[in-house]
Amino acid sequence: MMLMVQDLRVTFPLDGKTGLRAVDGVSFDLAPGASLGIVGETGAGKTTIARALLGLHPPGCVQGSIRLDGRELVGLSEEAWRAIRWRRIALVPQSVGTALDPVYRVGDQIAEPLRYHLGLSPAEAWDRSLELARRVGLEPRHLRAYPHQLSGGEKQRALLAMALSCAPDILVLDEPTSGQDMLSRARLLDLLDALCREGGMGLLVISHDLAAVARLTERVAVLYAGQLVEVGPTAEVFQDPRHPYTWGLLHAYPDMSTARDLRGIRGAPPDPANPPPGCRFHPRCTQAIDRCRREEPPLREIGGRWIACHLGGLQTLLRAEGLRKTFFVDGGEPEERVEAVREATLDIREGEVVALVGETGSGKTTLGQMLVGLLPPNGGRVVLEGRELTAAKGKERRAMMSRIQLIPQDPFDAVSPRLTVAEMVREPLDIQAIGTPEEREAKVRQALQTVGLPTSSDFLARRAHELSGGQLQRVVLARALVLEPKLIVADEPVSMLDPSEQARVINLLKEIQTERGLALLLISHDLALVRKIADRILVMHRGQIVEEGPGNRIVTRPEHEHTRVLLEAAPRLG
Amino acid sequence: MRRLGGEVWFGLILLALCSAVAVLAPVLAPYDPRAFSGQPLERPSRAHPLGTNDVGQDILSELIYGARVSLTVALAAGAGTVLLGLLVGGMAGYAGGWLDQALMRLVDGMLSLPRLPLLILFATFLGSGLPQTIAVISFLFWPTTARVVRAQVQSVRQRGYVRMARQFGASHPYVFLRHILPAIGPLIAYGLVTSAGHAVAMEAGLAFLGLGDPLVKSWGLMMRFALNLPGLFLTDRWLWWLLPPALCVTLLILALALMGIGLEQNLNPRLARRWR
Amino acid sequence: MGVGRRAFVYLLTFWVILTLNFLLPRLLPGDPLAALLDPSSSDYVYDPQVRAALAAYYGLDRPLPEQYGRYLLGILTGDLGRSIRLNRPVAELVVGHLPWTLLLVGTALLFSSALALLAGTESAWRRGSWADRGLVSASILLANVPVYFAGMMLLLLFGARLRWLPLAGGRTPFARYPSALAAALDIGRHLILPALTLTLAMLGAKFLLVRNATVNVLGEDFMLVARAKGLPEGRLKWGHALRNALLPFVAHLAAHAGMAVTGAVFIETLFSYPGMGRLIFESVTARDYPVIQGAFLVVSAVVLTANFLADIINLHLDPRLREGGAVG
Repeated sequence: MMLMVQDLRVTFPLDGKTGLRAVDGVSFDLAPGASLGIVGETGAGKTTIARALLGLHPPGCVQGSIRLDGRELVGLSEEAWRAIRWRRIALVPQSVGTALDPVYRVGDQIAEPLRYHLGLSPAEAWDRSLELARRVGLEPRHLRAYPHQLSGGEKQRALLAMALSCAPDILVLDEPTSGQDMLSRARLLDLLDALCREGGMGLLVISHDLAAVARLTERVAVLYAGQLVEVGPTAEVFQDPRHPYTWGLLHAYPDMSTARDLRGIRGAPPDPANPPPGCRFHPRCTQAIDRCRREEPPLREIGGRWIACHLGGLQTLLRAEGLRKTFFVDGGEPEERVEAVREATLDIREGEVVALVGETGSGKTTLGQMLVGLLPPNGGRVVLEGRELTAAKGKERRAMMSRIQLIPQDPFDAVSPRLTVAEMVREPLDIQAIGTPEEREAKVRQALQTVGLPTSSDFLARRAHELSGGQLQRVVLARALVLEPKLIVADEPVSMLDPSEQARVINLLKEIQTERGLALLLISHDLALVRKIADRILVMHRGQIVEEGPGNRIVTRPEHEHTRVLLEAAPRLG
Repeated sequence: MRRLGGEVWFGLILLALCSAVAVLAPVLAPYDPRAFSGQPLERPSRAHPLGTNDVGQDILSELIYGARVSLTVALAAGAGTVLLGLLVGGMAGYAGGWLDQALMRLVDGMLSLPRLPLLILFATFLGSGLPQTIAVISFLFWPTTARVVRAQVQSVRQRGYVRMARQFGASHPYVFLRHILPAIGPLIAYGLVTSAGHAVAMEAGLAFLGLGDPLVKSWGLMMRFALNLPGLFLTDRWLWWLLPPALCVTLLILALALMGIGLEQNLNPRLARRWR
Repeated sequence: MGVGRRAFVYLLTFWVILTLNFLLPRLLPGDPLAALLDPSSSDYVYDPQVRAALAAYYGLDRPLPEQYGRYLLGILTGDLGRSIRLNRPVAELVVGHLPWTLLLVGTALLFSSALALLAGTESAWRRGSWADRGLVSASILLANVPVYFAGMMLLLLFGARLRWLPLAGGRTPFARYPSALAAALDIGRHLILPALTLTLAMLGAKFLLVRNATVNVLGEDFMLVARAKGLPEGRLKWGHALRNALLPFVAHLAAHAGMAVTGAVFIETLFSYPGMGRLIFESVTARDYPVIQGAFLVVSAVVLTANFLADIINLHLDPRLREGGAVG
């Protein structure tokens, strides 16, 4: 093992006693010729790690261990570091525009480490820098130029040539693609890719550019608030993120192959001077439990992946196995039965938006009703948060059912025409006997505010017929929210609304889902609509789930015949 | 407002002390500084704590009244400098374009001239009254302030809220008074203090060189008379005649400079970190 | 801006000075030049020979444009008028005094610059340390103490109290030197105190400038990269940090030259040093207008030349100021 970083902690002194811990207990290693990406948001501590590897932090700030071929680097004197820097570990810095000394020729700056580290004469060093320049695609005239005469891309190449000058064992690239336009970025990635293949050199890519990391590295480590939350092979991590943060990060990253709207991770990264106790991600995590608030999760290996999560990564919220439902035609023969749902198996993870798409009569509504427990299945089982819903009885069943809420297709059918708005929304609380009347009142108002409805006493006293379809659907949504469910199953929630109201309600649904960290199962016949918000799409046809996959894949490369039919049928303008 | 540093307090206290002496001069001074209250060149005594000068005037009284001269110059020349600098710098920064270019060339030219010889030339021909001295100092020192004011005005003018105000239809005077002036307010205070310091040094220097108002006994003029005495340094007479006015001038300049540094740090927190 | 354009700007500035020098006495109420020839004035020149020379030189009875033409022509041929007090050509007096000032100012500029660059860089390198804080405080003090005050103190200490060094003059009066070395030693001994005073007077401001410029450079990204490259400390400190801090330093040399001249006037007066400052002082006392004007012109020309040289040096130091944009 060439580079071994163990429990690296970097603390910067602030005013007073407390320090700012920018990197807190990070461990990773890098074999000769291997490549590792470190991804994370701005302020996660990426650059701090890069600088620590070159010993650029003030003495005393860095704790833990950085071993290079077994030799401990932390605590080395400035003099000893000098021998490591550039010869063993070299850096391509992030700030391309200001990283070159404005008063020296570019070539002299490339030659500078050659002269000091390898003891070359000025002429030899210049010849070597010419050779380096050729490797990165610069011409001799670029070496004779001063930094201000080069473009950003040329400076980036010059910095790369400079980093390669002493043939380092490890090359650290700090945001190699930031500030570059897409074309020069693509050329740079080609160049870096080629250089790395030439062999021998360990590569550490630090970036928030996930595509660049995917292109350049074999393994990736995800950094959040100074701590690693997930480490694994790059392709696998990006394909199948396990940590809730990785999952959110990937969903926030724009990608040409996605049709879905971008979604952010709710909340904001913590203040590094004052991180939350327990797991640092818990305030933003949709599946946080009490333990996450108290204990810091260690990074441990779960199925070939290193994950720092008490729950072992993203949780399956609801799992349905082999659900069956058969309806018998009234008074008919046993042959005249309708197999509405046949052997349906699916799962929904925490905070995920899953769309169940199919045409009318495909059984999707029946499946939805079985999932929420409104309809008993003929076979199979539904497991919610590890407990079997289909087998639960009495109080336990009531409590479990309050975790899932259904938004039905027809809001007029879903509410009693005799109840006022306040009574409608309060009904679940009354049924479950939660809280005092005042608390219920407060919850009702809060839920109505969340869905963007007025809370005036006049409005609260209205009845269903006095509301528009959109308003009523919001009331139903508010009613679903008062029980603070983990999963909302929305069955064609907007099909009865006019188009502009449709868009508003869908956006509202998505917004509430993100902010509250709910999972959402959206049942719809309309692929055009669901692909805007769905992370995953299930296609149902004649009672069976015929295709399942990430939203973008389903929309761009459908595999099942019927999916193609549905796509063809999706509305198009012009 | 950041916490004031020790140096600023030191400056403020010195300045307050000097102002008190200037205001209370008639009460504090034992004699009329122009009266021949003793024998020429008396040594310090109970009657004349700092002795007398070559014509028998009380040196302590001269020193006390001298504070008035220095502070007058500080106030008047400081204000004159800042006013001129504000006018030219504000105009250049706000108007931009050719006017800015022309005014800044003028500033560059004036800054590249040797100031004292120019000052001497002006003082020689304009006469050596106190008002002339103040006018000449103001006239020669405004370019520094103008340059700083221009830079600040230029940066404020580029701000979104100023451009928005213009879009709302605000007039130039409105924008200048409502947005620009408050933004350069702290700069004006800083300019005033530093210019005042330069003015005190220059006035004393001119008087020292014989270009001061011969009728206004300033600290500079006291030094000149003391130095004119042949063999001043051969006895210890310089100790009570030359040293006190020189010390007073130096302390006043230092007080103003320290306040300037404090104000500068308030203006620019990044600078504060540089100093500490 | 190229060298040619800069030279033009300086020539233009010098022309403005020339014109100012011409107009100032002539446009003022009471016309101080006419007073020299007016028997009823207190400034009346009694020596008929000098009076005739002055009348011829100023040509006050001729129209203003002709006076201006003759004035410019005179300057071009090195004719700066005639001293009333000494009855000698001003140009001759300048030639006698200018070398002393150049020696004094040059020595002080050299020493103060070298010291400021060394100490300023070191202080910035160790910013926040006790040595740095001490130097900064001392420099603030030094930069604000009037030069005549500092001069007096040095004069008293080394000249009058300790009697180590001569009190006044540029060399021992009426001395005959057996060798050039002896002459140089004598001149050097007389130079020490005035040059020390002027060095100290400039050191404060220069030190603060270098230190703050270097602190700014140390925060630049390329300094971090230079460190990451594993360069030795000397190369970082002098090759990169100081090398970049030199740019603002040289840019301020112009202002420092003016400052040095101001200081020289006071110091020469104080130490009776036979330079231009002393000449100006004596002429001011005697209201010897031609000398004041001539000295002013010469000093201005010297300072402007110094500025011009500083500009050219900076052009060589900073590639960004040079003509020619991107390559290729």
